[in-house]
Amino acid sequence: MADTIARDRSLTARHVGGVYGRALVAQIRAITEYPADFWVMASAGVMWNLLQFAFLTVLFATVPDVAGWSYHEMLLLSGLLSVAAGSTALLCDGVWSTGQMVLKGEIDYRMTRPAPVVVQVATTHIGMQGFGEVAFGLVMAVYGWIGAGLGLAAAPVGVLALVCAVVIECALVTAFCAVNFWIKGPMSNFAFMLIDLQNSAMTMPLGLFPSGVRIVTMFVVPVAFVNFVPVAVLTGHLSGWWLVGTPLAALAALLAAVGVFRLGLRSYDSAGH
Amino acid sequence: MTAPPLAHRLTVDLALARLTFRRRVAYRVNWLFTVVIGGGGMLASLALWRHLLDGGAAMGGYDWDAMRAYLVLGFITMTVAVGGADFDIADRILDGMVAIDLTKPVDFQRARAAEYIGSILATVPGAAFSVALAALLVGLPGPASPLAGALTAVSVLLSLPLSFCLTFLSVLTCFWVKRYLGVMWAREAVTMFFSGMLVPLALFPDPLRALAWSLPFAHFTGTPTGIYLGRFDLPAALGLLAAQAAWVVALWWLARLLWSRAITTVTVHGG
Repeated sequence: MADTIARDRSLTARHVGGVYGRALVAQIRAITEYPADFWVMASAGVMWNLLQFAFLTVLFATVPDVAGWSYHEMLLLSGLLSVAAGSTALLCDGVWSTGQMVLKGEIDYRMTRPAPVVVQVATTHIGMQGFGEVAFGLVMAVYGWIGAGLGLAAAPVGVLALVCAVVIECALVTAFCAVNFWIKGPMSNFAFMLIDLQNSAMTMPLGLFPSGVRIVTMFVVPVAFVNFVPVAVLTGHLSGWWLVGTPLAALAALLAAVGVFRLGLRSYDSAGH
Repeated sequence: MTAPPLAHRLTVDLALARLTFRRRVAYRVNWLFTVVIGGGGMLASLALWRHLLDGGAAMGGYDWDAMRAYLVLGFITMTVAVGGADFDIADRILDGMVAIDLTKPVDFQRARAAEYIGSILATVPGAAFSVALAALLVGLPGPASPLAGALTAVSVLLSLPLSFCLTFLSVLTCFWVKRYLGVMWAREAVTMFFSGMLVPLALFPDPLRALAWSLPFAHFTGTPTGIYLGRFDLPAALGLLAAQAAWVVALWWLARLLWSRAITTVTVHGG
């Protein structure tokens, strides 16, 4: 049934966009009702990034480079990842509730509404930490950008990288959360592990890791295209041709997310079965 | 009303710990996934530091041997420090179930401590798997001496009640802030930084290192790893263990004090 609704041709892109926009605006209105909550969450988002900043600063006080990467280049790496991760909290944080909704049968009534289920699920809340993550991530990225000697001429590449990073990250988190349609659980452990591993490994040059890790992060779960590949191209660690892969990875991740979520809805059998 | 006998209270503790353990492993595939993948972050850190300390280099007194012991031990203690079922406690306060708890003949803090221990036990297989994998991939140097190994084990065990006390104190803020996620992240970030897990305390500037050692968080990583690596002589090691134990006692009673204040502010669904 959900599949039928999702494919309903009356659901134009404009209609879906309108539903998405109105749902997000409603969430933002709700946030303004709890200003203290907003500041606690936004500060928490800044704090983790501040730690990453402190880590790199302390580390580079002792070493000149890490696998050929300078302090500012690694700041750019962390900054871009932080902006992408923060954007998922702002744009589709509700997907983290997929597992809970499947367990409690809360997908049911969303399937009866005239809007794609994934859009309804994604907009059930906003991760207010995202404001802090995006803000401080941009600060790190701009500081790293200037420090790495990148000028305005490279800005279009930077914008393309940023847009693709947000799309890839949102799509991968959605797809990994949708795993809970089959592997039941209240927590989206798969998506959580994805984020955890990204924060641990993708804030470092990929050259530190065995070739298996590089292949997986580039061609299986393309997290390398969120931050590593574009930053490596911008700073000359990789050839410019690699940049072609970034929008392709974004498209592939998006299609995968839509496909996995649709398959998940097909196998969804509500609660208690 | 007289307090129930000790045997009864221990039976209740055990039952609560067992229930929480079962709840944590109830979704087997989900849980097994965290067991297998949970140590990924540690392996990434090991890759970084192996590169930095390649060829006999040392930073802040840590060569590759010392650093890998530091990272693996730190991973174990951090699993204890941030792996507990803190959301279960927070949810009871936020959804008002705490009002029911107040009617039960069970000490709330002690009951939550028992549940917390049960939830930590569910992380043991994951930690053991990750440590075994790390040992297989990069090797794990032994303790400086058998005594250092034994004292390290004491410190790791003490980090369990220390973790609970810090977690419980942070959860109690739910009585006032009405949401836990931001508080949890803030606590985890502070714990990661001041424990020395993110950057070893030896690499901190002097004032920051002094501040870190004056806080309880340093006992999660600084104390056990320092003892394990033989950085402290016996009196210093015993002194640090005593300080760690003192933090546990002080924070336990601070939590009791805060709890007695907090329950006067209980509101359930706005009532």
